[in-house]
Amino acid sequence: MSNAIEIQNFSYRYPDGTSALSDINLAVEHGLRVALIGPNGAGKSTLLLAMAGFIKGAGKVSIDGLEVNRKNLKEVRRRIGCCLENPDDQLFMPTLFDDIAFGPLNLGLSPEQVRGCVAEALATVGLAEMAEKAPHHLSAGQKRGAAVATILAMSPKIITLDEPDGSLDPRHRKNLVRLLAGLSQTLVIATCNMNLAAVVADRVVLMDSGMIIADGDVQKIMSDSKLMAEHGLEVPQKFSDSN
Amino acid sequence: MHMANELLSIPVAAGTLAIAAGGLGFICRKVREVLTGDKLPLMGILGAFVFAGQMVNFQLPAMPGTSGHMVGAVLLAIILGPHLGAIVISSVVIIQCLIFQDGGLLALGCNVINMALVPSYVGYFLYRTVTAGRFSPVRAYVGAMLASIIAIEAGAVLVPVQAALSGVLAVPFSTFLITMLGVHALVGLMEGLITVAVLAYLQQVRPDVVTDTLPGRVRLSRKSVLVTLLIFTVVIGAGLSLLASGMPDGLEWSYAERPDEPDFPPAVSNEDSAIAAVDEFQEKYSPMPDYSRRSSKLGEPAGEGMEAHVGWTSFAGVVGSAVTMVVIWLVAWLLRKKQARTA
Amino acid sequence: MHHAYIDKFAYQDSPVHRLDSRVKFLVVLVFTAVVISLPRTSVSILFCFAVGPFAILVLGKVPLRFAFKHILLVSPFILVLALTFPFYDRTPVTVAFGPLVWDTTLGWMRCFTILGKFVVTVLALIALVSTTRFSDLLAGLQRLGVPSLLVIQLGFLYRYIFVLIDSAHHILRARAARAIGKPGFNTELKVAGGMLGSLFVRSLDTAEHINVAMHARGFDGNWRTINKLQIRSADYLFALVAAAFIFGLYFFVRPVLQ
Repeated sequence: MSNAIEIQNFSYRYPDGTSALSDINLAVEHGLRVALIGPNGAGKSTLLLAMAGFIKGAGKVSIDGLEVNRKNLKEVRRRIGCCLENPDDQLFMPTLFDDIAFGPLNLGLSPEQVRGCVAEALATVGLAEMAEKAPHHLSAGQKRGAAVATILAMSPKIITLDEPDGSLDPRHRKNLVRLLAGLSQTLVIATCNMNLAAVVADRVVLMDSGMIIADGDVQKIMSDSKLMAEHGLEVPQKFSDSN
Repeated sequence: MHMANELLSIPVAAGTLAIAAGGLGFICRKVREVLTGDKLPLMGILGAFVFAGQMVNFQLPAMPGTSGHMVGAVLLAIILGPHLGAIVISSVVIIQCLIFQDGGLLALGCNVINMALVPSYVGYFLYRTVTAGRFSPVRAYVGAMLASIIAIEAGAVLVPVQAALSGVLAVPFSTFLITMLGVHALVGLMEGLITVAVLAYLQQVRPDVVTDTLPGRVRLSRKSVLVTLLIFTVVIGAGLSLLASGMPDGLEWSYAERPDEPDFPPAVSNEDSAIAAVDEFQEKYSPMPDYSRRSSKLGEPAGEGMEAHVGWTSFAGVVGSAVTMVVIWLVAWLLRKKQARTA
Repeated sequence: MHHAYIDKFAYQDSPVHRLDSRVKFLVVLVFTAVVISLPRTSVSILFCFAVGPFAILVLGKVPLRFAFKHILLVSPFILVLALTFPFYDRTPVTVAFGPLVWDTTLGWMRCFTILGKFVVTVLALIALVSTTRFSDLLAGLQRLGVPSLLVIQLGFLYRYIFVLIDSAHHILRARAARAIGKPGFNTELKVAGGMLGSLFVRSLDTAEHINVAMHARGFDGNWRTINKLQIRSADYLFALVAAAFIFGLYFFVRPVLQ
């Protein structure tokens, strides 16, 4: 069986010529939760965009055995859902219902099926009562949950999340961790929050300056205080006590 | 300068609504043929930008305590082109009406025409005409200034025209016109300056956004602002005074307000033959003929009995309405209280 | 920000909130048209008409203070114009109201009529938009023939007003925090231009992100939505009552009150 994500020798330059990603090799098996950690500007978000085919560079990217190219784009995006950093960019319709129905409608589902998808996705993130609310009436935590729901409604096999805990207070962060831990999909989570990564991930990929520095066991990488400090990161609480 | 429902008669409101709807429908159909899906969010966001941008104010010179803000129509027309610009600004005007109640529902047609359609197209074509040919910073500057001032004036002129056509004005047409022209000359001037300032910024930071319409730099120097203000003062001052003297009833306004001569014969606007003609036209063709002032019982020296009759029925009407409102409110309050108790 | 709350009442639930947006819109349109074509010197009939929007607001649990505060906010232009009437129309009239009789001018009568009409029609508009979710209003307008491009545009605009107004507030606060002394007009303009410019660039970025979000969810250029509107018997009943109210007042009460 093919890997959920397979990236071989992928490089990308910004339009102005600066290198954003260089020679990325990454394979993620199905059902795994991968944390993509690294300082700001390391190339985490760009790598997530490359997975869903939003940027084209040199090298090969495959999602669920399907090569990401123009021909496969629609099918690729059916299998991988990407949740953007700012929920205000993700929620662009006048009501939550319309927002979550947007994806399923584009998949060509019937109105009844769409209603089912929306109800299920909202129930998963605990916002079942909020379907007819406007996004600007939601709290930051609710917006974050809603953004995840827009992806869930399309039932992708793989979900990428960019800084999913940005601007969340501890209580909402705890809810988010519970939500992520309950998902059965393959997850790729780009984050600067080492505590989130330590709690949720099965595997950690450390990036800096557009390159993969380390890839492997969560505890091994994240408890290495020298490696972490070299890349401007901190050892999460979970591992700092044992050291 | 949002037009209000109350300044319009039904035929004028219906006519302008039809024109605005027809125009917008036509533009939408035309744009839809060439528009890619990627432009949809851009247009929406730029509409929101106009809203938010109108909150960014700046102090006006020589008038402490007053501040100006962007209108945005000409800026968007220059950046997006007139069709997209017109749709975006129309949507802003519609949201101002529906969400913020700025401008009435019946006046929506007028407001879309005056504030969106006319400024977008007039502004765009003026700017393109002035900057046609080889690019120069002076041309771009003059083009943006002229486009802003004239586009806004063109929209503002329509307000008194529509009001006069509706026959609701008390102010003589020329007074209203000159006031609108004067006020909006200033609005247009500020719009021009801020449009240039924004264009200059964009040209520096994101030249890709304005490649088509602003291929080179445009500057907002102290000198150019001074020269603009000077020319503006002379032209507007001369123009307005000429206009005022050219219109015979243009000065009545100042007389009418003279507190030192309370006996001065009031300028009753309905003596105006043009407006009387409009009145007559409306009474004939309006589906619900407006009440004619001349047969007003209030206006005529009515007999004792008549007066009393009118007074008591209107009294009953007002009191009855007030009582009805109180009853509605009480019933709703009781119901809600009961609901709260059972819940 | 107070703007985020301007439409909060639309998301409540009540019998009037549940009415179909098309029916409500058309009723308010007709109501406004009829109020506008009322005589220019009759104030009392306006009180009768005010009962309509008043009832909707009360049934819709919209606080009247909110409505009247809002009317005050949008009134300056009409206030100035209404106040010109007393200057120009000085035909003396005698007004009798119940036990009171006093002398005034036709100008003042017209001034109060125009302000009264303004309050009543704005009240009706507030009654419409604070008992109707904007998305439903948009869907209704689309069914009434508004081009879909404009409907999509209005949807995006409505969604992002609140986001960008917040951004604008941040920028304004940053300027206020740094303002020292009195800058010249030229500097003032340049600063405002820069603020607007950066707001503009930020808007472009947001639009770019939304594009990604849309395409990530399978958008292919065709805009698809689910129709949620449905006219029920309550809507027919409402239309009937509204028509009876509006035309009853116009044809039977107005002639008596004059």
